[in-house]
Amino acid sequence: MKASMKLVSLLLLILLLAACGNSEASSDDTQNGEKTVVDYWHVNAETQGGQTVEELVKEFNESQDEIIVEPRYNSGMYQGLMQNLQAEAAAGNAPALVQIGWSYREYFSNNFHFIEPQEIIKNISEDEGYLEEKFLPNVLALAENNDGSQVGLPYSLSTPILYLNMDILNEAGVSPEDLTSWEAVKEAAKTISESTDNYGLYIAEAADNWNVQQLIESNDAAIINDGKAAFANEQGFEAYQLYADMITEDKSALHIGSDEGTQAFVTGDVGIAHLTIAQRKNISDNAAFEVSGVPSPAFDGEQLKVPAGGSLLAITTDDEEKQQAAWEFTKFLYEADSIAAWTEGTGYLPPTVDAVDNNDELKALMDEDTMMLSAYHQLENLVPWAPFPGGSGLQAEQLLIDMRDKILAGAPIEETMKATQEEINNLLQ
Amino acid sequence: MRTNSFLGILWHTIFILTVFILIFPIIFALGTSFKPLQEVYNNVLNIIPIAPTFDNYIGLFERLPMIQITMNTFTIATVVTIMKMLISFLAAYAFVYFDFKGKKFIYFIFIASIFIPFTVTMIPNYLIMSSWGLADSIFGVILPQISDAIGILLINQTMRSIPFSLIESARIDNISHSRIMIDIILPLIRPQLMSTGIWFFVNSWNEFVWPSLMLKSVDSYTLPLALQMFISAEGGTDLSVAMAVSIVTMIIPLLLYLVFQKYIIGTFTASGIK
Amino acid sequence: MNKNNTLHLNKINMKPWLFLTPVFIMFSLFVFWPLLYTFYLSFFDWNMVSPTKTFVGIDNYISVLTNPTTYKIFLNTLFFIGILLLINLVVPYIFAFVLHLILNRLKGFYKTAIFLPAFISLVVGSILFTWILNPISGPIAEIAGWFGIQLPIWSQTEGLVIVVISLITSWKVFGYNFIMLYASISGISEEIIEAARLDGVPLHRIFLDIILPVSSSAGVYILIMTIVQGLQFVYTPISVITQGGPNYASSNLIYQSYNEGFILYRTGHSAALSIMTLLVFAILLLIEFKFVERGVHYEN
Repeated sequence: MKASMKLVSLLLLILLLAACGNSEASSDDTQNGEKTVVDYWHVNAETQGGQTVEELVKEFNESQDEIIVEPRYNSGMYQGLMQNLQAEAAAGNAPALVQIGWSYREYFSNNFHFIEPQEIIKNISEDEGYLEEKFLPNVLALAENNDGSQVGLPYSLSTPILYLNMDILNEAGVSPEDLTSWEAVKEAAKTISESTDNYGLYIAEAADNWNVQQLIESNDAAIINDGKAAFANEQGFEAYQLYADMITEDKSALHIGSDEGTQAFVTGDVGIAHLTIAQRKNISDNAAFEVSGVPSPAFDGEQLKVPAGGSLLAITTDDEEKQQAAWEFTKFLYEADSIAAWTEGTGYLPPTVDAVDNNDELKALMDEDTMMLSAYHQLENLVPWAPFPGGSGLQAEQLLIDMRDKILAGAPIEETMKATQEEINNLLQ
Repeated sequence: MRTNSFLGILWHTIFILTVFILIFPIIFALGTSFKPLQEVYNNVLNIIPIAPTFDNYIGLFERLPMIQITMNTFTIATVVTIMKMLISFLAAYAFVYFDFKGKKFIYFIFIASIFIPFTVTMIPNYLIMSSWGLADSIFGVILPQISDAIGILLINQTMRSIPFSLIESARIDNISHSRIMIDIILPLIRPQLMSTGIWFFVNSWNEFVWPSLMLKSVDSYTLPLALQMFISAEGGTDLSVAMAVSIVTMIIPLLLYLVFQKYIIGTFTASGIK
Repeated sequence: MNKNNTLHLNKINMKPWLFLTPVFIMFSLFVFWPLLYTFYLSFFDWNMVSPTKTFVGIDNYISVLTNPTTYKIFLNTLFFIGILLLINLVVPYIFAFVLHLILNRLKGFYKTAIFLPAFISLVVGSILFTWILNPISGPIAEIAGWFGIQLPIWSQTEGLVIVVISLITSWKVFGYNFIMLYASISGISEEIIEAARLDGVPLHRIFLDIILPVSSSAGVYILIMTIVQGLQFVYTPISVITQGGPNYASSNLIYQSYNEGFILYRTGHSAALSIMTLLVFAILLLIEFKFVERGVHYEN
């Protein structure tokens, strides 16, 4: 009997040890008994704003005693955050404040709880007019869903620009002023790939359709029209044809995943890269060549449209106290200095009108950095990142990604686009 | 014996090449972890950094609760290992030394569970753990990991190598089962058990899929999860810090392996499938 | 006397059942019940969030079977299996044979070095190899550039992407298989091999006619394990590098099931795919049990 007692007590000891290790982590929660805890979910990895989030949260927590903000990182960007949100909802929980990627605006507002900022402001007299003061109407409207509800407030704002490796461009004799339209970019890419040892162009191929949207909508086609997929028309075909030709015919464009493609640009193997402004810091810090930036082009004679990348901040809790607390934190995040820090740390554009004028470093950055300049000036051409209505948003986005992969591998453009459009519209019913 | 020396040289070359391919990535990771990111991009081939720096490691420990994360990984791996060893040991004892109705069938069922892909059990396990409130906790990660029939298989094989007469005479002398297990069996197969334990420990340490489903807040992360924090679609992969995390993740398993390799390789080599 | 090595007692013995209780509890909770529940879920339409599940009968199965992508994924799975077996069964078999019979020195070093990656996380491996094998800016690409060779963009190339992912997975798996096969081969009686050699039998004949048959139970064990565990291991590099793309070129039954379940939140579909994968594996299980367990008795 003694021996088995030893075994049992060993077992118990181990379990005790494990329980101790576990409770240490959770005891922090109970100490916050008096204060309201705001769970803030973000997607900012260490390499992209994660530190800024920590700093801002710390500053806010230390500045007052009633609220504690607890940030939580979600891997896999906005898609990953949506998955986690979904899983949390399955377990019956919800955080207080979340970053919702623009393309998930509809999916989120249709499947999860949120409270409009206007609702909260109604009860706080000092905040009357806050929204009008802080945001440009077209920027604020980005966070309005198809039913007209204000899902949240625009926070991370990015647009795609063309990053230029000036060393390669100079070698090939291409000047930034030449890049006035997508047709011109195609020419330049061809020149670069023929006269130097490098690729002319790389358009980011991420786990979303963002870059392609910019391409297509700048040829006056639309991804979504009236709640339905509408990209399979002449202009849409033309836009994709240009893209596909660069890869399969000219062989001037690089066709590879976004991680590797961005790496290729930073190591100096690509002349022009169509990437998000959020990559600014990574690129300018690590490139050994002269980097410059110009705005995304449109097609000849068409109007420039750039989809807004990034996210909105939404308050998802239905606990009134937490809603108030989340709102307080939100206002803090929109102060000029906080926005300046956010822009510096992430490369996202300032979403508020008063940030640039009230923060000198930010002003300097905007004035001097060609990449920031290019992105900032595109703000007036901002369009929403096509958010699909209804519950099939996740699938619809996946179908667009699949379509891109098929076309770039050589599938017939018209056929593929028509088929995908039909598939998506069937889903949306 | 007297091998054709040409053949010998040929095969030695092939083996050295293979070893190089297998080991090179580790050395590469080590070198990269001491490079500043700019050098990683622009100085691709050098394994030895031109401007070595500890910044990646220092920054890592400053930005993430690495100690906590390592402790989480360690705790999970330890508990999983001990629990697996215990229940597999008991189960193997029953299978090796007893005959009972349905034994073959039950054994078959357990071995069959090895063939169940994790996708079959992941959703319900996730839902069970969430409903027990273990969603973000190490117990949520630990519990399902314990049900691994490979443990039963391995310890079964090991136990069968013990001469049966030893056990038989102990039973005749009326020694209790617990005494047999602890005083007779355990000492005889200690090296094999240790090796199996290390194997379980390292596998749990390196486990990624299940912890990534369960653990959501950085404070409860394990090392492999911390690693994927440095791979971001938006901001670019910070390879130099990612390599630093990789090295930290590798240290304990590699140490265990290198220190105990004689035992480990010996155990696996001896057990085989005979 | 005691033919089958058991402590046969006359009365019904509770002891074995007692010892089996812990495994029973754990397995019932975390393996068998989930299996049944997944089977149950495969008949519903659910997104894991909403409180209501809609019963759809065998619709999910039909949807899976009529989706052309499913066949692509199934073929990918077969292709994965083929490549994995080639690299992790055929090659280690030959290597183990060579190590035992041809090489005389550095044996311990080789064993240690080859087994080493098995102790490293495959996440680490995937990230490492993505950079090392980067066809534009990685070290291999740069070296190839000296010889004027341009590496194919493997992550976008159908077929090749499966090969590369299998290679990355094999980095970790090779060592274990190698050691296990070596174990079996080195256990073969020296005399038979000596005799064959003295008779002047060429090495490859020794391998095919003596080594293979005698070590066959180990071989089959590794065969089955490579298929079952290998397919699950490849999940990690797929998840880190290609996410099943481009256009499902690198997806297989296991990855797709995860994708449906935790990325697209089509729980019913995911469950149906999982169950079908299970059936495929079940067939393999029957083979294993016939060969290996029979092999064990044969030896005795």
